[in-house]
Amino acid sequence: MVEHDFRNFFRYKWWLVGLISMNLTDLFIMAIVYNTILNPSLSAQIGGYFNFFAPGLAVIGLFASAFMIGREINMERRREVHHYMLSLPMTRLELAIGRVLSGGLRGMLYMSPLLLTCFIFLGFPTISQLLLILAVLFMLAIGISGLSIAIAVSTSSLEKFITARGLVYYTLFFCSSVFYPLSLIQSLGASGKFPMALVLLAEINPLSGASDMIRSFLLPGYSFSYTSILNVAVFSAIFTFGAAFAYMKILERK
Amino acid sequence: MRAIWFVSQIALFGLIASQMINTQEIPDYFHYYVAGLSVMTLYSAAIFIGFDIYEEAEHGVFEYLLSLPVSRRQLVLGRSIGGGLRSFIYVGPLIVFSLFVIGAINPLSFAVSLIALFLFSFGVSGMSITIAVLIKSSDRFDILMGVLDALMVRLSTAMYPLAFVQKANPFYGWATSFNPITFAADLFRWGTGLEAIITPQNPLLPFLGVVAFFGLFTLLGVTIYERMIEGGGWQ
Repeated sequence: MVEHDFRNFFRYKWWLVGLISMNLTDLFIMAIVYNTILNPSLSAQIGGYFNFFAPGLAVIGLFASAFMIGREINMERRREVHHYMLSLPMTRLELAIGRVLSGGLRGMLYMSPLLLTCFIFLGFPTISQLLLILAVLFMLAIGISGLSIAIAVSTSSLEKFITARGLVYYTLFFCSSVFYPLSLIQSLGASGKFPMALVLLAEINPLSGASDMIRSFLLPGYSFSYTSILNVAVFSAIFTFGAAFAYMKILERK
Repeated sequence: MRAIWFVSQIALFGLIASQMINTQEIPDYFHYYVAGLSVMTLYSAAIFIGFDIYEEAEHGVFEYLLSLPVSRRQLVLGRSIGGGLRSFIYVGPLIVFSLFVIGAINPLSFAVSLIALFLFSFGVSGMSITIAVLIKSSDRFDILMGVLDALMVRLSTAMYPLAFVQKANPFYGWATSFNPITFAADLFRWGTGLEAIITPQNPLLPFLGVVAFFGLFTLLGVTIYERMIEGGGWQ
């Protein structure tokens, strides 16, 4: 199952090159220009926007690529390819876990050049830190893959899937510390300019947890917190098992 | 989908990012960003005409269009204007929403900037048609337009003023100065009364830039369309 999904992934290799170059444009143009217009006190606090954004970009790349599996599963469901999948000599659980796992692994593969770029500019972590970063990002990737599969099997058309994906993308991206520090969102919430529910979402958002964990290893002024790992682990557990269950039940029902 | 993107960009990214910006340098980044976002959305919508061309080619509509009693020139001009107009109608409610967020406008300058936005969207449609006909592969077109979108939007004044792009990197500044998105974004801001934070003092220059962009891609589109599709050239 993993091999099947990886083969599909590499069919879009030029599309992936295009996507990576778009991500790098964000880093090498947008982040560099934002460096020059940043509030000086905030710039001193986060160590410049380029440095701040580089770990966030790796997490964005991971999210976008791990989410791609959902589009394929939605397409398989619409074209009834899932009947073939169900006829394969494996249990439903193996099938479902295989899909979630391959989505996560594809996310890790796509994210690796972005993470390497981040290390080249911000410095390399120690071996133990690197292993922890990879472990947390992998947990996040399978959680995202699970979330994407859960949405894919619950939506009957591509349009509905794309709309739901858009909602999830933008809410999770913009209500997180990927683009801006969490303290900024919290201060906006405290002054009543931003809904507290969204502030809470930003705090528990696994994208915030993963980005801030990488920053804590690579940038001065960031402290490592076990809570961020816990957030990622809970997110991953819920969506991995939730998606596997939904995938098995919904495919059998049709 | 585009409406979700637009509103979340304003209500989430625009609102939070405006708190990061040095207010000494850009006093009202939120409104600056909302105006730029309207132009970015118009650009993305106008690009879609290229995808329609592939779909028509796949379904054999291309041959039908070529058999119509109109010249190739009229056909491509009609498609550019149709694509631009369609995207303008599509993005219209979002532009109205952004005007509501920005506030007061000067009717005369807004009318001028609106004409420029029309020409800009026709020009983008012409560019999309030209590239689609040249490439002849929907996958390659999809990738190229994605990369072009990222480069053109980032190297424009849609998200930040020109002075800061030049400060960040002179080459980026040079590229930004000649970008049609820069012309359209600056004109839209001028029309909506945000001219205090746009770089050019004379709105005639970006207006001429948009007209030149429209003229260039309409001409290119007509020429390339005529040469590439005759005698089964599309295949």
